[in-house]
Amino acid sequence: MEQKTIISTENLVKTYKDNGMEAKAVRGISLEITSGEFTAVVGPSGSGKTTFLNLISGLDTPTSGTVQINNRLISEMKGRELSDFRRDNIGFVFQSYNLIPVLTVEENIEYIMLLQNVPKRERHDRVIKILDKVGLNGMESRRPTQLSGGQQQRVAIARAMVSNPTLILADEPTANLDSKMGSELLEMMKVLNETTGMTFIFSTHDQMIMERARRLITLKDGIVKTDEIR
Amino acid sequence: MFYLKLAWRNILRNKRRTIIASIAIGVGLASLILTDGLMIGMKNNLVESATSTLLGQAQIHNKDFRITRDIEKTIVAKDDITRKLESDPLVTAYSERIVSLGMITSPSTAESVIVYGIDPETEKELSKIDDRIIEGTYFGENKGREIIIGSKLAEVLEVTLGDRIVITVAQAFGGDLSQEMFRVSGIYYFDVKEMDNGFAFIRKDKAGTMLNIGNNIHEIAIKFSDIRIAEKKDLSFWGEYSTGNNEAVSWITIMPELKNILDMTDISLYMMGGILFFVVIFGIINSLFMSLYERMFEFGILKAVGTRPSGLRKLIIFEAGWLAIVSIVIGVIIGFVLHLLLIRNGIDYGGIEFAGTFMHDKIYPVMNISQYMKYPVFVFIFTIVVGLYPAWVAGKMKVTDALRKSM
Repeated sequence: MEQKTIISTENLVKTYKDNGMEAKAVRGISLEITSGEFTAVVGPSGSGKTTFLNLISGLDTPTSGTVQINNRLISEMKGRELSDFRRDNIGFVFQSYNLIPVLTVEENIEYIMLLQNVPKRERHDRVIKILDKVGLNGMESRRPTQLSGGQQQRVAIARAMVSNPTLILADEPTANLDSKMGSELLEMMKVLNETTGMTFIFSTHDQMIMERARRLITLKDGIVKTDEIR
Repeated sequence: MFYLKLAWRNILRNKRRTIIASIAIGVGLASLILTDGLMIGMKNNLVESATSTLLGQAQIHNKDFRITRDIEKTIVAKDDITRKLESDPLVTAYSERIVSLGMITSPSTAESVIVYGIDPETEKELSKIDDRIIEGTYFGENKGREIIIGSKLAEVLEVTLGDRIVITVAQAFGGDLSQEMFRVSGIYYFDVKEMDNGFAFIRKDKAGTMLNIGNNIHEIAIKFSDIRIAEKKDLSFWGEYSTGNNEAVSWITIMPELKNILDMTDISLYMMGGILFFVVIFGIINSLFMSLYERMFEFGILKAVGTRPSGLRKLIIFEAGWLAIVSIVIGVIIGFVLHLLLIRNGIDYGGIEFAGTFMHDKIYPVMNISQYMKYPVFVFIFTIVVGLYPAWVAGKMKVTDALRKSM
């Protein structure tokens, strides 16, 4: 598969002001991530990994520097344009409470397609297919509270992937799961990464993810300390 | 449609909070409806009390009489007018009166009074003199010589039933004095100083003879089929009966001070409504913000995955709308049940004076469809308007702030 650069950051800086004091969370990160990567961003607390992921996903705006996804400068986007860009290009998996509890599994997964105005029939077909991929066939009408933590994370992954985004950003996706469930989930994401070619970027402390990631970016004090491709 | 569904489910998510908030808003709505009904009931009661004592809901006079009280200014073409009143569908009763200033003299003292010459039978339908007799009878067999006076006047004159008193009036067309002796046949008590002290009622025929005006009269008091008819300024009735030199006027013209007081009660209703709405608004804001802050992370997720700010605003507005609908249903049910109970039992304000009028009867709130349309619509619109603020906050919220616990 031909690999192209999908994320490119250049001298990315993010400074926060707190009680008049300036704190630099990211101090000039320049790197590229290519399609199909299975990358883990690691580092101790306060190393800037959360800020870095927020910046490359367009959830936050940099103080200086640029972020490009698919050659589009998202660091300059705002409001509706940015919302639509995230909707169409980035899938998110959060640590926990990922799903809307009042919606069924199917409704949670189809939410992004609804925002994209995908017809009902197609939405349903795609939900059924993705549920099959994440091993949750027949669970489309369940509510999140009727699922285990691992199953909920699978639904979150299904929701992130169902609209075929360019990349999936996962923030500590295994943090609230036991090691067996975490391992199964990680294995499933690895398979999805290999079969679909979708790019996965994790922010994690989980040793399991670090071991399985094909690229390990270590941040410390807001800068890239190591960038290891395996 | 999706946001409507999601909003409804969000409303049901914390049932206890939704029910408490809806009851609070609903009670506010029910209070508005009941206050409106009670105010109308109280106004009707006041108007009824004021007009049924003696005034009537409308009166016809010679145009000059109402101002000058000149006894020569009698109603023009009286028979034509009464014939017309007989067949007027708006009119349920009317009574002809002769009105004159006079002197009433007992063996101990003399007092000036307004002497009313009335037809006892038709007057029964108009005023409450017959109901308020506390001693004696309301015009009996002794035709021509009976006089009905108030309890205060009897006290001042030191007379009781059967005592003789003399009425002196100035005759029309010359001003000669005319005197007649009467026997006190009835004493009434209204608990209204002016009524109990300043009036004397004799038969109309006798009054006509004394005043030298024959069959002519000064006043026709009228009762309509509905008390609110008299409040209509553009009613054709006023024009139809204001012919020749006559004028037909409603109680509003005769007692403008009562009308002013009633208008003031409208203002106080609006003020009370405003305060209730204020309370309701804070209930809604509180409920919506609690719900918003409780779900910040969830809103963060929705925004992160691509929901536009307008989508979140829509969601909050729809939640406000659903909250309003649930509250309206509760409020209308509470309001309706209490309304029915009060209509059945009334509220006893007996003996309380308001705007110079004594409320003798219970107040019965009035129920009408507009109360159950107008106020719920107000509550709905206000809820939506109030929902705009939390909706704006949700739309403006920074995703990273909302997701702080996570990414």
